[in-house]
Amino acid sequence: MNRALIRSFALVGILWAAGGLTHLRAQISVQGGNLLMSVTTGTAGAQPVAVTSTATTLRIRRETVVTKVTVSTSCPGQRFSLAVLATNLTSGVAAPQVNLVNGMPAADFILNLPTNGTLNKTCTLRYTASATFAQGNSTELGNDVHSITYTLVAQ
Amino acid sequence: MAVLLASGTAHAQVYGTGTHTVTVQVSVITAVRVSGASVNLNISAANVVAGQNQMSVTDQSTSLLWGTNSSLRKVSVNTNLAAPKFTLRLLALNPTAGNAAPQVTLSTSANDLLLNIGRSSGSCTLQYTGIALASQGTGTDVHVITFTVAAQ
Repeated sequence: MNRALIRSFALVGILWAAGGLTHLRAQISVQGGNLLMSVTTGTAGAQPVAVTSTATTLRIRRETVVTKVTVSTSCPGQRFSLAVLATNLTSGVAAPQVNLVNGMPAADFILNLPTNGTLNKTCTLRYTASATFAQGNSTELGNDVHSITYTLVAQ
Repeated sequence: MAVLLASGTAHAQVYGTGTHTVTVQVSVITAVRVSGASVNLNISAANVVAGQNQMSVTDQSTSLLWGTNSSLRKVSVNTNLAAPKFTLRLLALNPTAGNAAPQVTLSTSANDLLLNIGRSSGSCTLQYTGIALASQGTGTDVHVITFTVAAQ
C-alpha cells in the first residue's frame, strides 16, 4: 500500500516536473461537435450560393507564454471549397480567413493569445462552404469530409 | 550545440490540439431564367417584299441564363400553344458554354436548344424569328415558352 502510494507520488512528481500535469487538461477544444454544411441553391448565370455556419466554438486555455492557434485539414479527394475565420474572440487577434485545402501546412488562425486575463479564451468558428457549378455535386461525386485540427502552440 | 538550438527554433512547443469534422455537401442544383421583358414580334408592311409570300421578323432582346452542377445536361424548349397560326423559330446565339442546336421551330414537344452544358454556368442570346405567309392573313399568336434543363 505504502509502496503504491509512493509510486503514485513519484509519477505525479515526474509529470509535474515535465510540465505534464498542465497538459492532462484539454488546452484547446472544439465545442459544438461535428458540422454538416449543405449548399442547396444557386443563381442562373452565376454560381451556387455559399453557406456559412457559426454553430461551433473554440475554447483555448491560457498558457504561461504567448501562444497562437493554427489550423489544418485532411480531406482526401477534396472537390469543394471550405474556409474558416475566427470571430467574437475574447482574446487574441484573428488571422485573415483561412481557405482549408487538403494537405495544407498549418496556417495561423489566432495570434497573440496573452499570458494574462481569463483562464479560458473562446472564439466562434465561422465556416463558409462554397462550390461552383463546374465543381459538380455530391450525388455524383460524394461529400467532402474535412478532419480539421486546431493546434495551440507557442508564438 | 548549435544543431540543437536550430532544431528547437524550428518546432514551437505544442500545448494541445482540438479536432472536429466538417462535411460539405453540395446538392444537385439547376437554375434557369430568361432576362428581359416579353418579346413582341410584329410583322407589318415594313416586312413585306413585293412578290414574296413569306414575311419574317427577328428579335434578339432577351437572353437565357442557366447554371447546373450535374454532368451531361442540355436545354430544351417548348411552347404551350398547340396550334399556332404563324411559325415561331428560336436559335441560341453565342452560348458561353455548351453548343447551340440548330434553329428550332417551336412546338408543344420539347426540342433541343443547347447541348453539352453539363456542370456550367452560362448564358446565350435568344434569337426569335416570327414567320408569316401573306396568304395566312392577319392575327396574333401568344406563346408561353418554357426552357428546361434536362439529362442529355
